[in-house]
Amino acid sequence: MTDMGKGKPFLEVLASAIHEDYRFPFLELFAFLYAAGTFVFASFGVNIAAIGTAPQAMATANETIAYNAVNSILSMPLFIFIILIFKNIAYGLGSDLEKGIVQTYFSYPLKRYGILTAKLLSALGVALLLFLGIQISALYVLAPDIIVPQLSTVLLTYAANLSYPLLIAGIMLLITLQLRRGGISLVIGLVLYFAMSIVSAIATVFAIFSESPLSLQILSAISPSVVLQQYYGGSLGSFWAPAFSEVLLYTGVSYVIVALVFTLGYIYFSRRLNL
Amino acid sequence: MKRWTIVVGRLGTVLIAVSLALLLVSLIPQINLVSFSASMGVPPGMVQATSSRVLNPQQGIEIRATIEGTVSLYLLEVSSGEIFPGTGGPIFSANATDLLEFLDANPDLIIWDYTLEDETFEGSYTPTKIMNATLVFHNPSLDEDARVDYDLSLISTVAPGEKVRNIAYWAAPIGFVLAIPWLVNMWKQRKQSLDS
Repeated sequence: MTDMGKGKPFLEVLASAIHEDYRFPFLELFAFLYAAGTFVFASFGVNIAAIGTAPQAMATANETIAYNAVNSILSMPLFIFIILIFKNIAYGLGSDLEKGIVQTYFSYPLKRYGILTAKLLSALGVALLLFLGIQISALYVLAPDIIVPQLSTVLLTYAANLSYPLLIAGIMLLITLQLRRGGISLVIGLVLYFAMSIVSAIATVFAIFSESPLSLQILSAISPSVVLQQYYGGSLGSFWAPAFSEVLLYTGVSYVIVALVFTLGYIYFSRRLNL
Repeated sequence: MKRWTIVVGRLGTVLIAVSLALLLVSLIPQINLVSFSASMGVPPGMVQATSSRVLNPQQGIEIRATIEGTVSLYLLEVSSGEIFPGTGGPIFSANATDLLEFLDANPDLIIWDYTLEDETFEGSYTPTKIMNATLVFHNPSLDEDARVDYDLSLISTVAPGEKVRNIAYWAAPIGFVLAIPWLVNMWKQRKQSLDS
């Protein structure tokens, strides 16, 4: 079969997945919430004098302003985004496995990893495109002179904040494939997401009392938003002032872990999933 | 239904949804955080300036000023201490020399430059970044006094209303045009399934 021939079944699976994941008017509802949420939650309440005197601030004031602006709009819209990708993976893939739709895909002239790629492109790719496209465009409308010069800071903030949700999505993928139903993996995913805020609080308290950043450094390997927050003027005193290279390192490590989990998912789907 | 019809149609409906969100956001009214009124004379060759404020994309200023005589009104992207060192207080007088030197050296930091003569001025400004802003009244006349009565408000907005509304006005019709073939197809399919 030629490459053109392989493309068609892939598009067929992708179109079917998108149709299932984003039934009308869910896509539109999420687009509405992202657009409205970006403006409503945006905050530029930065005290410039305070930035200059913050003991931990190794970044420039402009970078900190861009970081704070992105952080402010990530609060509720990120949660909405997480709900969408968790639903797509747990419910979308789970119900496809339960109903035997995945078995039908196996009859297509398409490798198994191609089928999973199409499903993940729909579940994660389209959701990410919608989320980042709307949020960054809305930020540009609101504050172009902050966003354009600090685009790398904006993208790094998104990368650091999206790493942990993507890791949970990967874990949910593994659980869904193992159990072949999505309900339990959806519950586990939500528990893991909320557990992070508790673990983060415990790690912070532990770091403050022990005056050692070790607990937060370990946490940063799976949730680099912790190290990024510290870099942009965290409140942990003087015992952890990470350099920018450390932020990049932790972010890189977290994505390596995410890639590893998804690779396990691919291996399981391609070789071990007996349907 | 052809695949491109679905993709373009859903893109259109997403644009409509975003437009509705932007319209909703633009309808959220602004609030006055702080208001300040003053009435003052501006002697010939002198300036009266307000102490600088920190503005941001969601926090701007609104001014209504009534001028008697001739006054140049400036809104400058700088803290008042940088132009007029050693001055203080919410309003202060200063010699015009510092101002004129600053204007010559920093034309890119001039946001407003209006010459007003016996008239009422109303204006508002919200920046697209975080900045210091200083409002300055300068009497360029060499021998005539001028008088300024003004109300200055620090306003807070969720989004730049007009800009957001304009985007919504453009995006909604484009979205509707893109969505029409898909919506028509959906309607036909539904009708067919009802008939059969």
